[in-house]
Amino acid sequence: MTTIIPFGPQHPVFPEPISLKLEIDNDVVVGALPSLGYVHRGLEKFIDTKDYIQTMYICERICGICSGIHGITYSRAIEKLFNIEVPERAQYLRVINSELCRIHSHLLWLGLFADGFGFESLFYECWKYREGILDVLEKFTGSRVIHSMSKVGGASRDLNDEQIDHIQKALDTLEPQVKNIEKVFVNNYTVKKRCVGLGVMSKQLAYEAGTAGPTLRGSGNAIDIRDTPDYDIYRDLGFKTAVGKDGDCYSRTKVRIDEIFESIKLVRNALSKLPNGEISVPVKGSPTGEAIMRAEQPRGEVVYYVKGNGTKNLERLKVRTPTFANIPSLLLMLPGVKLADVPIIVLTIDPCVSCTER
Amino acid sequence: MLENEVEIKNSTELIKTIEGLKSDGYRYVTMICLKANDGHEFIYVFEKDYKLKNLRYFVKPGETPKSMSGIYLCALLIENEYQDLFGLTFEGLAIDYKGHLYLTPNSPKAPLA
Repeated sequence: MTTIIPFGPQHPVFPEPISLKLEIDNDVVVGALPSLGYVHRGLEKFIDTKDYIQTMYICERICGICSGIHGITYSRAIEKLFNIEVPERAQYLRVINSELCRIHSHLLWLGLFADGFGFESLFYECWKYREGILDVLEKFTGSRVIHSMSKVGGASRDLNDEQIDHIQKALDTLEPQVKNIEKVFVNNYTVKKRCVGLGVMSKQLAYEAGTAGPTLRGSGNAIDIRDTPDYDIYRDLGFKTAVGKDGDCYSRTKVRIDEIFESIKLVRNALSKLPNGEISVPVKGSPTGEAIMRAEQPRGEVVYYVKGNGTKNLERLKVRTPTFANIPSLLLMLPGVKLADVPIIVLTIDPCVSCTER
Repeated sequence: MLENEVEIKNSTELIKTIEGLKSDGYRYVTMICLKANDGHEFIYVFEKDYKLKNLRYFVKPGETPKSMSGIYLCALLIENEYQDLFGLTFEGLAIDYKGHLYLTPNSPKAPLA
C-alpha cells in the first residue's frame, strides 16, 4: 500500500517554494508529482505594458542569481531582430559578467548542497568564498544582485584598469579556495556516501528528457550552449565543456566544481584579451520579426523567443528556463530512491523556482 | 520566419514529424504559443548538434491540439502551462493539471489569451 506525502512547498532544502507530492511505499519513492504556481508573476503578460528597452529590466528580474545572463540573452535576441553586431569589447564584457555570475551561482549551490546533507561548516566556506565574487560584481556593475550590465546594443558599463586589477586579484584568491573545497566535495567520506550512485540518469535518458545544464552534462552529454557557433567568443577564449560520466548526484556536483575552474580561466583569458573600443552601438526604431536566442546559465540552457510587430512593445516574449526543463527529469530520477535521499536529488538539479515561474 | 523552420499542415503530420525527429536523435527544447488569426500558432523547438529545428503549426479556433507528451514526456509541463495561460486543452496529456498548473480557482482565467 502506498502513501502520498507532501514535500514542500516550505522545506529546509528549498530556498523557494515548490511542492512535490511523493508516493511512498515502505520509505521508498514510487512516484512524484510536482506542483508549481506559488510564486508565479506573469512576467510574460506584464511586458504588454513595457517597451522593448524596459523589458530588458523585467527579464533581469526573473531571477536574482542569474539575472545578468537573463539580461544578456534578451539583449542578444533583440539585437538579432535588429541585425546588430555589438562591439567586440561589449561581447567580452558580457562574457566576463556571465562567468562571474556562474562562479557565484555555483558557489551558492555548493553551499546549499552541503547544508542539504548537514555539512554546515562546508556551507559556510562556500558562501564565504562567494562573497569575494559578489564584491567583484559590485565593483564591476555597481550592484551585487541585479547587475544591469547589458543593454540592447552592447554593454552599459565598462571596466577600467583598477577594476580589471581587482577582478584578477579576486580570482587569484578564489582559485586556491575552490581547490580546498573541491577536495572535500570529491574525497570526503560523508559527501560520497550521500551522493555516489544516487539519482542516476543515464546519458540517453537525460538527453531524451530534455534535461539542461550540469544535470545533462553530469550524465555524459557534452552539450553546452557556450560551445555553439553563436558564441564565437567562447571558442576564442579556449572554452572546454565540463562533462561527468556517472549521471549521479556526485557527478553533477563535480561538473559544477569543474565549471568554476573553467569560468575562472575564461574570465582571466577575457581580461587579458579585452579589446579596446566602444562598448555599445545606438539602436533606433522598433523591432520586427521573430528570433530565438539561447545562452548557458549556471543551471543550464535558457531560451528566449521574441516577436516584434514594428511597435515599441513586443508582441510576445517567451522564456524557457533551465529548471523548467529539469523538473521532468526529477520525475524520472526519484522513483526507487529512499525518502531521506529526496532532498539531495532535488538539490542536484539546482532548482530555481523564480525562473521556472516567470 | 525563424531559421530552419518547417510548416506543419495538420495534427497527424505533426505527430509523425515529431516521432521522426525523436528517432533522428533530436532533443526537445521548448514550445512557443502565439495568438494568431483567432486561433493559436505553436512553434515546437528541437535541437541536434546545436542546430535548432522549428515546427510551426496553426491550431484553428476551437480545435483541440494533440499532446506530444506521449513522445517526449518532458513536454507535459509546457503544454500544461499553455492550458493555464491560453485556455487551451491538449488531448492525451501525460499528466493533466486541467488548467491549474499555476492558476488557482480564483486566478484570472487564461491571462495570455
